Amino acid sequence: MNNTAASPMSTATSSSGRSTGKSISFATELQSMMYSLGDARRPLHETAVLVEDVVHTQLINLQAAEVSQLRGARVITPEDLLFLMRKDKKKLRRLLKYMFIRDYKSKIVKGIDEDDLLEDKLSGSNNANKRQKIAQDFLNSIDQTGELLAMFEDDEIDEVKQERMERAERQTRIMDSAQYAEFCESRQLSFSKKASKFRDWLDCSSMEIKPNVVAMEILAYLAYETVAQLVDLALLVRQDMVTKAGDPFSHAISATFIQYHNSAESTAACGVEAHSDAIQPCHIREAIRRYSHRIGPLSPFTNAYRRNGMAFLAC
Amino acid sequence: MDQNNSLPPYAQGLASPQGAMTPGIPIFSPMMPYGTGLTPQPIQNTNSLSILEEQQRQATQGTSGQAPQLFHSQTLTTAPLPGTTPLYPSPMTPMTPITPATPASESSGIVPQLQNIVSTVNLGCKLDLKTIALRARNAEYNPKRFAAVIMRIREPRTTALIFSSGKMVCTGAKSEEQSRLAARKYARVVQKLGFPAKFLDFKIQNMVGSCDVKFPIRLEGLVLTHQQFSSYEPELFPGLIYRMIKPRIVLLIFVSGKVVLTGAKVRAEIYEAFENIYPILKGFRKTT
Repeated sequence: MNNTAASPMSTATSSSGRSTGKSISFATELQSMMYSLGDARRPLHETAVLVEDVVHTQLINLQAAEVSQLRGARVITPEDLLFLMRKDKKKLRRLLKYMFIRDYKSKIVKGIDEDDLLEDKLSGSNNANKRQKIAQDFLNSIDQTGELLAMFEDDEIDEVKQERMERAERQTRIMDSAQYAEFCESRQLSFSKKASKFRDWLDCSSMEIKPNVVAMEILAYLAYETVAQLVDLALLVRQDMVTKAGDPFSHAISATFIQYHNSAESTAACGVEAHSDAIQPCHIREAIRRYSHRIGPLSPFTNAYRRNGMAFLAC
Repeated sequence: MDQNNSLPPYAQGLASPQGAMTPGIPIFSPMMPYGTGLTPQPIQNTNSLSILEEQQRQATQGTSGQAPQLFHSQTLTTAPLPGTTPLYPSPMTPMTPITPATPASESSGIVPQLQNIVSTVNLGCKLDLKTIALRARNAEYNPKRFAAVIMRIREPRTTALIFSSGKMVCTGAKSEEQSRLAARKYARVVQKLGFPAKFLDFKIQNMVGSCDVKFPIRLEGLVLTHQQFSSYEPELFPGLIYRMIKPRIVLLIFVSGKVVLTGAKVRAEIYEAFENIYPILKGFRKTT
């Protein structure tokens, strides 16, 4: 198994070699997205490229197609994606909440514009709460212990989301109107807005088993979640890197970074701007390394979705 | 017509933003003249000027403790006469809503305008959609796509969905009166085609209003402090969705300051919801 500590870096470099051949790049959109998630005003291009790589690899490696094949189906449906996420309750709940909000929003917006109302009636099928029904039926069928269904009634606060909201609030408090308008525009960017570009980026046309519409929505959401998670973790890493006076563990923390600072590649990446607040690629790599690192006697064998040594951030 | 005290009070216990209990707000029905508060003065005629005078008289009398004077449009007719279109005033009328006198509050001075009204009525007889589609003007019928005739009229500019059961949905009107008038017009069309159409159970199902508070709003702050009511997913929708409990209205609040209110059954709910949200929005005003 090649899941050594160096593998996230090596997969990153090898896949970045591949990515130069790809014509579609989300780097500019990612830069905006990272700004809206808490990065500096102008995130670094290298960071965006690295994040793009990570997200791409993770989505491809989801291997949702395999799950569909197991079922004998021709299309990747949202059920397959829900199935892949069943292990992590918090993330699953966030996904479910997202789906419900989507349903709710279409219901409301439909009532406002009369044309939408007609369109909806004309389409015939009962679209209300479509995604919620899909999710509920599926979880019903796979739920053995009842804990998945309990999530529908569960009203716990999502801590990660809470933190993100607080960060955004802090960020926006000090902005002026023009900056805030820009910030809002960046926040509105998502992979689902550029659906066709997203499809091409994932190279869906060459896949045998393609995702359907709702599944594509979920994939776009997972991609966004991955970016958000990466930014969250990278910000934490960056915070750690700042050595605080009087912090008893500061010498221990810097020890984990020694190998990075020694390697030629990362000094080139990290050493450039000392003053910039933007997230550097080394922060991202460190974040991924720490996230993949499971402590425990059976850790090399536990995680079932581990492939290529990179744990999944979104699920 | 003596309408003293005959107006049923609106749901008791409506809380204003300051928590003061407001006395009942009259239920608006399309047949009632608007803005009649609970004052004992009889409202004899529907002349808009006299109502205006009355309102002003009431205001100067300081009956603020009694009833919140609700904004009323200067409708000249209360009974929708088929064939005549009531004159609708320009949105900014001289009357501003006087909120219940609590020293801390001040009225926003902004009145939401109605953008769309959805109503339903039962024509009370089975209809043959094919006949209607063939003989009526501006009617579409595509049975493979949808089992109803879609009819449109230009004045008031509305669209109706007419079902074979005799039920009809009318959308696109900008006020309760117009919605009722339009529904009557559609009913007349159906009647002229030879069906014994009646006009039963006219009901307004949904009202949508919108307005602009004229300052940018910091939505991140709002979603954090009002978490139980709001949801803001900018990747999904650029506006914040605020679910007000009392009255049960959904507001879409945008960064630019535009607010859309929907889910109301009566006009008062929209006004009330806006008056409730305005002080909250002021608190999250984005200053340069």
